[in-house]
Amino acid sequence: MTRDKTPDIRLEGLTVGYGKTAVVSGIDAVLPGGKISVILGGSGCGKSTLLKHILMLHSPLAGRIMIGRHDLNKLDRRGKHCLRQRMGVLFQDGALLGSLSLGDNVALPLREHTRLDEKTIHERVLDKLALVGLEDFHDYYPNELSGGMRKRAGLARGMVMDPPLLFCDEPTSGLDPVTAAELDQLLLELKKSFDMTMVVVSHDLDSMRAIADHVVVLGDGRVLFNGLRDELEATTDDYLRRFLDRQAAARTSPRLTMPALDFKVMKRDCSKYLGEG
Amino acid sequence: MAGVAWQGAKGDSAAMIHGRRPQLSPIALLGDATLRFVGDTGAMFLFLAEASVRIFSSLGQFPKMVRQVYFIGVKSISVITLIGLFTGMVIGLQMHYALAKFGAEGFLGAAVALSLVRELGPVLTAIMITGRAGSSMTAEIGVMRISEQVDALRVMDINPIGYLVSPKLAASIICFPILTAFFDLVGMAGGYLTGVLLLGGNEGVYFYRIQAYMKMSDVSGGFIKSLVFAVVVCTVSCFMGFYTHTRRDAVGPEAVSQATTAGVVTSCILILLADYILTSLLF
Repeated sequence: MTRDKTPDIRLEGLTVGYGKTAVVSGIDAVLPGGKISVILGGSGCGKSTLLKHILMLHSPLAGRIMIGRHDLNKLDRRGKHCLRQRMGVLFQDGALLGSLSLGDNVALPLREHTRLDEKTIHERVLDKLALVGLEDFHDYYPNELSGGMRKRAGLARGMVMDPPLLFCDEPTSGLDPVTAAELDQLLLELKKSFDMTMVVVSHDLDSMRAIADHVVVLGDGRVLFNGLRDELEATTDDYLRRFLDRQAAARTSPRLTMPALDFKVMKRDCSKYLGEG
Repeated sequence: MAGVAWQGAKGDSAAMIHGRRPQLSPIALLGDATLRFVGDTGAMFLFLAEASVRIFSSLGQFPKMVRQVYFIGVKSISVITLIGLFTGMVIGLQMHYALAKFGAEGFLGAAVALSLVRELGPVLTAIMITGRAGSSMTAEIGVMRISEQVDALRVMDINPIGYLVSPKLAASIICFPILTAFFDLVGMAGGYLTGVLLLGGNEGVYFYRIQAYMKMSDVSGGFIKSLVFAVVVCTVSCFMGFYTHTRRDAVGPEAVSQATTAGVVTSCILILLADYILTSLLF
């Protein structure tokens, strides 16, 4: 089977946002081909927004996104179609279609974009489900699965076209540490086996440390760091150090200014159930 | 039209659109509402055009369409039967008393049949399907929208309008006329139950008058109405669901519920508006 060369993703002078409001401005970064790049940052800093722009779900306010030698702004319809078919995406909650079984969800891109017969599609689907450890859940529906299983199924669907580019939005959020570590391991194995370019959006530091080759840190509406993981670990920047060491920002005023709520103000007297009566 | 922001149709996020709106003067509010109405109407026509074109985009649409025919058509038969039967019975009862005042009970069959075929059949069928299937279409697509399933389709290079809306549109165009015809037949049977069996009208005269006074133009007029209503109900219901995320009045699950309500209300209003226009033109 011929595989596409794993392309770099270049973000040049990029400003992303909604309507006329910029969320992150002046992004200049190269997400190297064949590596795992982690886009890191606090909640609401624009990580998922940036990802949605790379996925062509929104148009940038300024600047350009290059995948390989293609400028996404200048791609014609056919080019966008072709590129999208070469991208795999794992959404935050899997985004599996609720009306389809797991097998049909994973088979969907194959049925829509290939001329494969049903037998071959079924084999490929089972193969990808086995890759994520869900081969026994082919006939289950998404609402019958746990959050972790839905994410893994989303990953199988993202992988089913054997894309050279894989994008994951918060793959480990909401998962227990063991399942999160397993998913990280799976991403590393996929990178090694398929030589993929992966972009992972996350705020999970453990996950970043486990999988990242390259890290882009967003915050304050701009790029705070862009470089190798080891360089990030060695940074002396105050904000980045606090972020990496999970330290709360210093407060100048006391957090609590009001006394604790008195039982007497409660509409229903529950004091006797809590040992106060 | 239910306050769906047109800028959202171009892909803006709910977060932006749900931001606090600036205080506007009454005239500015009127202008804003007018602009939104015009924008929404245009967006809805574009939405309908794309859904129509994509009905024929691939053979893969056929199984999806069959599933929708089952959902919109087959599953609506019981409610259509009940409503049709009772509507026919009520018309039979009321008409019998009204016609009896003029000694014209013999015209009961024609009165029941004409009112059903020309007017009540298409309208009530469309309103019933709006409540049963239209609301479900809005909610289904709305939930898919807020849970990123529509985005997932787009990044898989599957056109969400073609995948989600076109089969529903095709199925509606197939099901509405058939269900309307079924409603008419059951309604006439209901009229027979009250007018003939209960109130003692003449059976032969009842059916003879139906045959004698019903013209082909009455049947075709009702048929055309049901086709128009099919397009209206499906387009409005799916449009409301598809742009759930751009609503200004709510976000998340509440937006789905608001979109569903707006879909049903707007569909019903447009059905009655279209009914008046079509009746003026057709009969």
